[in-house]
Amino acid sequence: MKKLIQVLLSAAFLAISATAANAKLKVVATLPDLASLAREIGGDKVEVSAMAKPTEDPHFVDARPSFVVQLRDADVLIDGGAELELGWLPPLLQNARNPKIEVGKPGRVQASQGVRLMNVPANVTRAAGDVHALGNPHFMTDPIIAKVVAQHIAQSFAAADPPNAAFYDANYKKFEATINAKLQEWGAAMLPFKGQSVVAYHDSWVYFAHRFGLNIDTFLEPKPGIPPSPSHLAEVIEKMKAQKIKAIIVEPFHDRKIAEKVASSTDAKVVDFAQYPGALPNSDSYVKLIDLLVSRLSAAMK
Amino acid sequence: MRKFAFVTLTCCAVATVRSAEPAADTGSPKTSAATAAEVEALRQQVQSLTEVVQSLQQQVKDQQAAIEKNNSAPPALPQNAETASAENSNASQPETSPPPLFPTTDSSVVASTAAQNPKSTAATGSFPTTDSSVTAASASGPAPEAGSPLTQPIPIIASGNKNYMNISFDGLFTLAASSASDLNNIEVGDHDPQQRGFNARNAEIALDGAIDPYFEGFANIVLKLDDNNETEIELEEAFMQTSNLPFGLQLKGGQFFDAFGRINPTHPHTWEFVDSPLVNGRLLGPDGLRGVGAQISWTAPVPWYSQLLFAVQNGQGGSAYSFRNRGDDGVFYDRVTIDRGISAPNDFLFVPRWENSFNLSDTQTVLIGASGAFGANDTGPDSKTQIYGGDFLYKWKSPRAEGGFPFVKWQTEAMYRRFEAERGLDDSFPVSEVFHDWGMYSQLIWGFKKGWVVGVRGDYLHMEDSQFTDDIARQTRSRISANLTWYPTEFSKLRLQYNHDSLEENEFLTARDVDSVFFQFEFILGAHGAHKF
Repeated sequence: MKKLIQVLLSAAFLAISATAANAKLKVVATLPDLASLAREIGGDKVEVSAMAKPTEDPHFVDARPSFVVQLRDADVLIDGGAELELGWLPPLLQNARNPKIEVGKPGRVQASQGVRLMNVPANVTRAAGDVHALGNPHFMTDPIIAKVVAQHIAQSFAAADPPNAAFYDANYKKFEATINAKLQEWGAAMLPFKGQSVVAYHDSWVYFAHRFGLNIDTFLEPKPGIPPSPSHLAEVIEKMKAQKIKAIIVEPFHDRKIAEKVASSTDAKVVDFAQYPGALPNSDSYVKLIDLLVSRLSAAMK
Repeated sequence: MRKFAFVTLTCCAVATVRSAEPAADTGSPKTSAATAAEVEALRQQVQSLTEVVQSLQQQVKDQQAAIEKNNSAPPALPQNAETASAENSNASQPETSPPPLFPTTDSSVVASTAAQNPKSTAATGSFPTTDSSVTAASASGPAPEAGSPLTQPIPIIASGNKNYMNISFDGLFTLAASSASDLNNIEVGDHDPQQRGFNARNAEIALDGAIDPYFEGFANIVLKLDDNNETEIELEEAFMQTSNLPFGLQLKGGQFFDAFGRINPTHPHTWEFVDSPLVNGRLLGPDGLRGVGAQISWTAPVPWYSQLLFAVQNGQGGSAYSFRNRGDDGVFYDRVTIDRGISAPNDFLFVPRWENSFNLSDTQTVLIGASGAFGANDTGPDSKTQIYGGDFLYKWKSPRAEGGFPFVKWQTEAMYRRFEAERGLDDSFPVSEVFHDWGMYSQLIWGFKKGWVVGVRGDYLHMEDSQFTDDIARQTRSRISANLTWYPTEFSKLRLQYNHDSLEENEFLTARDVDSVFFQFEFILGAHGAHKF
């Protein structure tokens, strides 16, 4: 009798694993950088789609009804967490009605888990502009953090698709090794500029700056999310001249003309940056994107 | 000496993991059941060993950091700590022969690397109690508590998010100038400006949050000032809905706006214009169509967005204007109304809706909906009302949108109402009539620059002319509106709007033209729930 149960159980196990092996894991990522990591880890065993476009402001994505369908069918949802998608993800999840991707289930990866967020405000007031109460959520620009997120993704995939657990783990190890090797390259390229300052349009590069020893603490926006004012820009120009700052980084959704104007009043160059793979030419993966950011910034700062 | 012991332990553990790995790799579906189970067990072993190694590494790092901190003069800068942890990672992994030039790990940015599997991690060691680099880097963030399990590796999030609900207050005010002294007859919505001068017709307290793992709750309490500056209070919405029913189902119960068209289920602060469209105010009612009841909705398992909704409500009172509504002073469309109450199932209000959405491209979305509202009305013992509606929304948003701008939105709604107006209480009105009323609006909204929006809207309302009923709400009319809105942020708004109204002559009322200018200002305090598409 006991044996029979054993046989039946193992048969059921095999059947389940067989169907799971045939069907690809459906993965939805809120943002393209998370989607890129999901592709690295999942390879051909997963089907990955990203919700936000790489070129758009991640705080203000339209809650398009088609996203409800994507979320309804998802096996795994990867979101940035830390209130990055607060303005558009909650109503979509309410409407998706998918228990698999609830917070706390293996099908939900909140990338901010396990990341020590920087710039956590002591006092939260909207007088300071768009301040993130939980800390700056643009942490994926630090490759060491990307490794942590990749590991979480691998663990989640393994839980959602146990037969391929080893595959996901191997891909994670591969990704980790790539990043470790690349970090030597990136670190060497940025080393000559250690301690130097760079101006950014918006405060989304604190983790990148921390990793590569840069100071990115001057912004064209007077306060996060508040459009640049002439008086603030005049101050920035003065500061840039005094500190001989050579680069202004802008993202695709920022007003590049303002940055160009500031650059023309100083010796600085405008550097097109992006947080998301696919936003810049030849940057369709996370590693390629950081490659491009490092080479662009180091070229501009020379 | 203790440190040496840790390093040795770490090395042993790493070696064990290494030797276990090839076994784990064979875990494919083809393996027989017994082997699979063994592999599973091995995998779990490996998993727990990995975690032991990680926690040990962490402890070594912390000790090292503490030593460094003691040796160097305080305060420790993040950079110092980082170098320390970098040296550390080399020390704890002696098998890495050439030491990396650039650190590849950084304990200051990582709270835990094993947050995903609560069950297996809960048992392993305690979370580090000191970490100088982190305290330096995020001085304001609370440090992780001693002994807190690894399932809570996000102390910052946990502490920052203790609210059980979002609470917000929204104040909406309008300064009105109009060629009509009876602005309350020109503006058809209850939240619209009702008089020349300043108006405070929508101060709203909104609450929302998860009730428990099964339900979410919402409440909207609206305060309004009337023309005596007395406060009127309105429980606009208060409902619960299921969070995660299977098969794409969702249930909702309480007091809520009906999902009829685009504007009806929304609150005034999301409106693109100062006032509600004519067709909404006159067919669905000045308060919008809402009431106490229940709703079921179902997302159809098709590749595009397709949702069916069905609501049942009492359908009585001013917020069910065309249904069992006694009217002002017990009179509606000149009939003295009767109190029908609910005596049969068809005394309820039934509101079905079907909506579909497609993406025309990466940047263009279309949403098409059809709605109905069917119920009884209070002008007779058997009188009925049927309202049919169709709505269309097109939206384009730039692929390089900043703060949601630029965008273009085109929205149109049309409605038709069949209203059986019987003879009222004791057949006191001379005739019974059937009104066929219809109307539509179409609005084009262009967010041309971050924070700046222009809009134009055309409105038309056809109310069937009657030789017997002289109600002022039954005048056929049209309106053209244009406005400019500035959103300094998503929490404040300034809006200037011009309206030109043309009211047509009918059996009892003369034609007239009205020009109005409105200046609206709004603020939102607190955490306001995100809006639907």
